Parts: sequence; structure tokens; C-alpha cells
Amino acid sequence: MTNETTNRGTTPHALAGLKVLDLSWVVAGPLIGRALADFGAEVVRVESSVRVETARLMQPFHGGVQDKEGSALFGNCNAGKRGLTLDLKSAEGQQVVRDLVGWADVVVESFSPGQLKKWDLDYDALRVIKPDLVMLSTSIAGQDGPWATLAGFGNVGSSLSGFQHLVGYDDRLPMGTFGPYTDYVGPRLALVTLLAALENRRRTGEGAYIDVAQVEAGIFFLSPQVAHYGYDGTIAERHGNRDPHLVPHGVFPARAVDGKERFVAIAVRDRAEWIALARAMGREDLAERDDLASADGRRAAEGELEQLIATWTAERPAVEVETLLQAAGVPAHAAVTSDDYQHEPQLAHRGHLVELPHARHGRTFVEAPRYRLSATPGAPRRAAPALGQDNDSVLRELLDYDAARIAALREGGILR
Amino acid sequence: MPSGLLEHLRVLDLTDERGLLCGRLFADLGADVVQVEPLGGSTARQAPPVAEQTGVSLYWETYAAGKRGVSVDLDDDASVERIRALARVSDVVITSWPRALVERLGLDPLAVHEDNPRAIYTVISGFGWDGPKAEYADTDLVVWAAGGPLAPHRDGDRPPLRISVPQAYLHASADAAAGALIAVLARAQHDCGQVVDVSAQAAIGVATLARVLATAVGDDHPEWQTTPGRPTGGRTDQSGSGAATPNSLKKWYCRDGMVELHLSMGPAAGAFTNNLFRWIAEEGGVDEPIASWDWRVVPDQLVSGELSHDQLDEARAAVRAFLLGKTKAEVLEGAIERRLLCMAIFDMSDIAGSPHLAYRDFWGAVPMPGADAPVAVPGRIAQVRGPAGPMVAGAAPAIGEHDDVVFKEWLAR
Repeated sequence: MTNETTNRGTTPHALAGLKVLDLSWVVAGPLIGRALADFGAEVVRVESSVRVETARLMQPFHGGVQDKEGSALFGNCNAGKRGLTLDLKSAEGQQVVRDLVGWADVVVESFSPGQLKKWDLDYDALRVIKPDLVMLSTSIAGQDGPWATLAGFGNVGSSLSGFQHLVGYDDRLPMGTFGPYTDYVGPRLALVTLLAALENRRRTGEGAYIDVAQVEAGIFFLSPQVAHYGYDGTIAERHGNRDPHLVPHGVFPARAVDGKERFVAIAVRDRAEWIALARAMGREDLAERDDLASADGRRAAEGELEQLIATWTAERPAVEVETLLQAAGVPAHAAVTSDDYQHEPQLAHRGHLVELPHARHGRTFVEAPRYRLSATPGAPRRAAPALGQDNDSVLRELLDYDAARIAALREGGILR
Repeated sequence: MPSGLLEHLRVLDLTDERGLLCGRLFADLGADVVQVEPLGGSTARQAPPVAEQTGVSLYWETYAAGKRGVSVDLDDDASVERIRALARVSDVVITSWPRALVERLGLDPLAVHEDNPRAIYTVISGFGWDGPKAEYADTDLVVWAAGGPLAPHRDGDRPPLRISVPQAYLHASADAAAGALIAVLARAQHDCGQVVDVSAQAAIGVATLARVLATAVGDDHPEWQTTPGRPTGGRTDQSGSGAATPNSLKKWYCRDGMVELHLSMGPAAGAFTNNLFRWIAEEGGVDEPIASWDWRVVPDQLVSGELSHDQLDEARAAVRAFLLGKTKAEVLEGAIERRLLCMAIFDMSDIAGSPHLAYRDFWGAVPMPGADAPVAVPGRIAQVRGPAGPMVAGAAPAIGEHDDVVFKEWLAR
């Protein structure tokens, strides 16, 4: 992180000059603008201070205190943006949006499909203002089709895309994913398409409208499984932490730390790794057993082997198991917790956790960009905005509104 | 007819199963993507799921789809030299091969940039190009553990759970495509090539809903309190997403399967639960006063004692009985018509038969070895109006299928 932040004055920004109006909320939409801001785009995030956006209500919170200016989730999704609060239901608020569209190259939004059209702020209306606009809508199921009006958060997406069905032990209820999984997938594919559209606009001058559905993005990450069904009718099922090819393959209890349970993941890809694991456990007898030489043989004894491994790992710290097995060439890693995250050596080496000054909390932490670029590195320039933090500067500097006009908007309750 | 947003880009794809998806995204967007495989075939051809009858990897067939294929004899320098020649005329090089291998072959970032300084060299690996764990042995599960999503995902007393199919490298590969495209845009402005370094471990922190940041920001009880008014906490999951609500409270049996439903409460999302109880009441499945609760204020009423947790259990029992009489399709239809946060849990056959996805022309028909007819695969990562949008561009290549034509086209003088 130090290299990137200290070099920022001299290194060029990949997306310098790109202007983004971010009308989205929660996770899937805001992560797109976050990535653009990291690489030099100017991103204006529009919110309502009356209908407070969901991510501000979600854990984790600074100091563990629930507060709409304290969510680290919101902070992670919105670092580096300018914040504007606006009453989008008012004609005056909608005019501010139109003016911002005139300023912007890109609009990102995640309203329920059809909502923007009611306000006459849909793509067809906005492209009149900005013919080469690149506009991206992200929603649960897309802008059209029988499910388009489906209300929902990412957990609805993970049910309809097949992930809910594919997480869990085979003798228990489907567990589902950790959080709204398609919120983690959708913005990645959205960003790829958006960047490609910007490259196309650069070359041809043509704008684009992009419709991203979280359900479809999620299914894309299950392409092999859904194709398997089409190929021979196989329906993928959940099977705990086991793998169809690799045995053993699991998550095992390690020695507790300060009363907190700890775990370590171990996977064996071939016979050599199996022998290395057995020897690391001090079980030469297992290493020499012919019936365990093949994956099929180990599969036949999988439950027994998992018990033996669990007994061995339970006496050791997770990191010790990781280090010991990695030294023997066996894939293994401690299950990294939030407590570990700040100090995990490889993430620390990459500067993945970035400390930023924060007006209310003194400092905050966000994740670094997920791609390190050697010539035009990205980094969050500042913490996510407080509600309405940049109302004045956005209207004055970006839209050239004069003081009287801004005052009228404020007094009219438009900047809320 | 335009052939895509990135029709002007040449992409040399030196990936195995770790990075395979990255080039697929470029191919969908119109780039000319050439997948390089060793003579014996990519290890991704064995990546699960593998069809039992034919031994065909659906992982390969889907994520190598639309690429052209060339082969290389890794032990023959003349053969490797032809790949180096392709790298010299590439806009983007992607690799997830081991660092030691690409260095031995003279296909590492330094070597490629020496001859082709404007190349975008994109590396996908488990832990990153360098650093203390760069050499770690890696699998999807091990990276999932290292990056944060595994540890908090508990089902009661058992060890943490992964998703039953590999995911970590898919996130990394999609990120790699985004990082490479940012570099493509930077090249237009600054006329520079560069290295894009993607670590799957770092890529998946965002798949924890910021849980990885909890300790850093001083939230020492991220075992979220989910029921208001209980003495152990006081925090409420009012998000509507149900992200902080335990699994057993969100899964319900219906007539032909299971349903995901979070009884959201609080000002942001309580109205969705009001809609649900209106439906149940219409069909006589719940009595007053529960039928008329305003779930937007239920958290406050639980805290004040106006409502009891026994009453909350009664409400849940009404939902349970109601859903047992409904099919997955009826639940989905009800959710759409009545705006409910309630969803059928789909398996792959439900998805394949979805009328919505058919309506949106989501599927691409891709020929595969051993299949009588083309197989439906997810064909559109997004729908685009204006220029031609992303679409799966064809079948995955056979080993060396395009040797002749690719070398001829790319190396024509």
C-alpha cells in the first residue's frame, strides 16, 4: 500500500478524466464505481438521507456501533467517491440528475427495473442529453422478462442462480452462500462489460446501454454445472467440503486460540501429496498402504482419513499445520478470520488492506483494488463520503451552479 | 456487422484451469483469443465436472468456449519460440501457468515486455506474482480459506463450508479481465504496457460482505445479533437481505422442494414481510393480530416488549404451514406479483428450464465432443443495446485445432 500511495503524485491514472454518475445502492452497483474511482475516475455517488441506503445499515461497524456513518461495508463499496444527497422524487432533484448526466461519461444505477422510466431518467431519455453515454443498470433478474419485476437482494439471486442448492453438507439443509453471493459476482462481470464499452466508445464514439442481471452473472459462474445438465442430465449436488477428484479434501479443526475455534483447509491432489501428508502426520503406515495410493482407494476410506487428519490438526495451531504441510508441498491454509486479516503475511505484502483517514472515526480500512497494475496503479483516494458530504462542491464545481441556486435547492429540501 | 466491443484486440491465453475464464470473457467481447496448450492438452481438460460417459470436462468446454487453440511442445525451443512470436504481436497476454514455467520458457512479463513493451501482461495466481506465499501449493479450497470467505461460513458446530464447486479462481479471472481492460484504456491515454497482477486470495475478500474488515474497524462481535430484544446483543438485521440471519431461519420446505425466505423487519425492508402476511391472510393462513403486524416497526415492538418472542414464533409457524402447501413455481410467481423477498431454491434443471432466461436469450448453443446436439451454456454476461454485446463465440478448441491458421494470421508479414 505504501508504494502505491506514495507514488500516486507521479504515476498516471488509468482512467483519468472519466466521469461517473453513480445512482446505485447496496453492494452490486456501488462496487463498480468504487473500482473506477480507484483508477482515477471522478465518481459522484447520489444517495438519499431520508431513505438511507441499505449498506449503511449493515455490519461490520466502526467500534461495533450501529450507525449510518459507521458501516465498513458501505466504506468498502464507496471509497474515493464524492457524496451527494438528493431527493430523486422531486422535479428539481431529477433536473440535478439530468445536469449530472450532461457532465458524466458513465451512469450506473440499480433501481427496480422501470423506476427510472417513471422519472423520465431512463437510458432513452438520458441519451438525448448525452448521445455517447455509457449507462449500466444492474438488477436481480434484468430489465425485461417474466422475472424483471422481482424484488430482491443478492440472496434471491443466489437462490435462482443455483448457489443456494450447492452449499451444504449432504445430510443437512442447503446452507446457501455466505451473504448475497451474486452481489460479489455481478459487479465483476458488469465492470468487464462496462470497460469494454468504454474502449469501444473511445474507438468509435458510440455509447451503450448495459443490462446486468445478478441471476445471470451467478449462473455464468456455474456454467460448467449447468452445461453438465444439458450435456447428460447430471444435476450438481452439494457435498460439504469434499471434491469429486481430490481426496482427502476438507476443512479440519485446529487448536483454538483465545477460546475461538480455528480451522485449516487441506487438499491432496495426487499420490505424492498424500504420502507427504501422511508422513507429516507421523503416519508412515498410512503412507505405505497400497489401498490408499489412489484417489479411489482413499475415497473408500474418506471418512476414516478425515477423522485421522482432524485428530492430528486439532492439537496444532492452524498456521502451524499450514506451514508444515506447505513445506512438504501439500496444499493447506488456515481458514483466515477477520482477526487474522490485517496481519496475514501475503495480503500484507500486497498492501491489500488500506488505511484511510476518516473524518468521524479518525481512520478506516478498506480493501485495495483487486488487480495490481504496474504502470498505472490504483488506490482509494479517500474514505467513502458521509451523507451529503460533497453537496456544495459537486453542484458548484462540477455543474457550475451559483450560490443562490444551491441555496434554493437546499431550502427546498431537494438536497436531502 | 460489428463482431464485438473488443474486436481489435489479440489475446494470447497461457492459462490452465485457474485462469481459463478470463480469456473466455475477452472472447465473448469479440477479441481474438488464442488458447495455448501443451501437446498433451491443458490440465483444464480434466477439471471437474467431468462427464462420466465421455470423460469430457464441462469446465473446459464452457470456459474455453469461443477461443482458438494452438499447441506447444514445451520441451522444444523452436515450438516455444513460435509462442514467443505470438506474444510479440499480442495486445494482451494472460497466464495462470506457474511462474517458474513461464520464466523457463521466456514468456514471463520481463521477457515479453522486452520485445513488446505495449503488451498488457496479466497474471492470475492463487496468492500473487510475488510475496511470502507466492510459491504456495494451491487449490480452490485452500485459496477460499486464505482469502476470508471460508471461516465465517458455519453450519452449526461443523467446520466452515465452501461452495461445493470451485469459485475462487473464477472471481480472480473475472477481476483479471477487468484489470487488463483498465490497462487497455490506460494504454490509449499513456501509451504504456504493464503488468496486471491478480491474486485469487485477495480477489475473494469482497465475497465476505466486508466481514474481513470487522476487526480492523473495531467490530469485535461480528457474530451478528439477529433477533431484536434478545439479551445477548441488541443489533438487528434490518437490511432486508437477511445476510446476518442464521440459515435455519431462512430455509423452508415447500411442496416440491425448498424455499429461501427471510422475514425481514425494520423500516428499510419490513414492508416485504407485510406483503407476505397479506397473502397468507387472504388464504386464511394466519389470524389477528399477527395478520396485521407492521413488520417495519416489529423490531421496536420486540425491544419495548409490546411483542413477545413467542408471538414471533407463532408468526413463523404460520409461514411454515403456508409454504408447505405451495410449489416452487407458485412461490416464485407470488414473489413477483406481490413483491416478496421469497425465493425458490433452484437446481440446475430448474435453471435450464427457466422461461425468464429463455425470454432473455441468455443461452448460447455450444457444440461439445460426445454430444449429439449443441449444449446450452450461459451465453451472455450482460445484455447490451447499441454496439454488439458479449456473447459466447463458439466451441472450445481441440488441441492444436488452429495451429496453421493462427500462426499464419498473427505472424503474417
